[in-house]
Amino acid sequence: MRLLTLTLLALWGTTLSAAEPDVDPDTGLRSWQTDQAGIQVRLTQISSDQARAFYLARGFSAAATERYVAECVFMTVVRNIGDTPIQHRMADWRYVMSGLSPQTIRSKTGWDQIWKKLGEKESARIAFTWAQFPTTQIFAPGDWNQGMTTYNVPRDQPFNLKFVWRADGKTHTGLIEDVRCSNE
Amino acid sequence: MNRLKRWAGQVVVLGLLSGLSVAGVAVDLPPLSHSLTKLTPKPAPALMLNDMKGVAHDLSQLKGRVVLINFWATWCPPCRREMPSMERLTQQLKGEAFSVLAVNVGESVNDIELFTSQLDADLSFPILLDRSSQSMQAWKISGLPTTYLVDKKGRVVAGAIGGREFDHPDVVRAIRTVLKQ
Repeated sequence: MRLLTLTLLALWGTTLSAAEPDVDPDTGLRSWQTDQAGIQVRLTQISSDQARAFYLARGFSAAATERYVAECVFMTVVRNIGDTPIQHRMADWRYVMSGLSPQTIRSKTGWDQIWKKLGEKESARIAFTWAQFPTTQIFAPGDWNQGMTTYNVPRDQPFNLKFVWRADGKTHTGLIEDVRCSNE
Repeated sequence: MNRLKRWAGQVVVLGLLSGLSVAGVAVDLPPLSHSLTKLTPKPAPALMLNDMKGVAHDLSQLKGRVVLINFWATWCPPCRREMPSMERLTQQLKGEAFSVLAVNVGESVNDIELFTSQLDADLSFPILLDRSSQSMQAWKISGLPTTYLVDKKGRVVAGAIGGREFDHPDVVRAIRTVLKQ
């Protein structure tokens, strides 16, 4: 009974989204999208080869590129589809694999520390920073943005993403379930 | 050859990142918006940068004109998609006290030309180079693309985060309203 209560409490205020992903017929890459309470969040798989090509073209070393693609990379789009401003803060988002505790998404700053240790060029690091999904932003109605987010999960392991935003002075949460990395 | 390889790589990757298939067929691209958000007028931060020909541009010298300032990069899919509409907007408002400045973050002239050469129309507005992304910090920009509208008094009066269809009637109307002030 206590477990049931705790579970219900944990789900309270969280909108579930277990929709089937869209599949790109040409690439086979999948997208998960949820629209709710004035926000749209979409995750699209980016394959290791795509991420590798992108960062090598930005001037990253092979070592840094391999470090990055060792994690699961998603193109992330957030859009204000409502009529009041919304604010997201990536530090509040969590991803959860079954049976494990929630994880935070590695920040741009966290990645930049790794790039500095690897001696990556400043121009490559600048491009990297702007290619990631912004750490925090306020979106007026109609505003949107896209950028990459990374998840340190095994490729064959599904995870849930809990996203958080503020609107009208309140904090809201949503969930995209059963997200999976690209196969390679 | 290296340049060709880089170009080919960029086309494939940018296509995929923006929701295009390898074959170039549009698959569920995030739509471009067509709104500008009114902001409480504030003096615009300084903006002094060189364009691709080495000519210096200073926003403070454009007082008396309405200026659309767009922060972008060639590897940013919505930035690429909205760029032609900025040129159409420029043509639509030709002869009026209106200017566009496109501030590129961190890229070389070669990389930018590689992109602009693929566009159907030549861009008539200057592309300014912010190699160290200093202006982005001064303007407190969190993501690309971000666009601001500066009025004739040099105040930021409207903004847009994310890709826009700049020649959409809603955007043109908003700019004309500021032009009349």
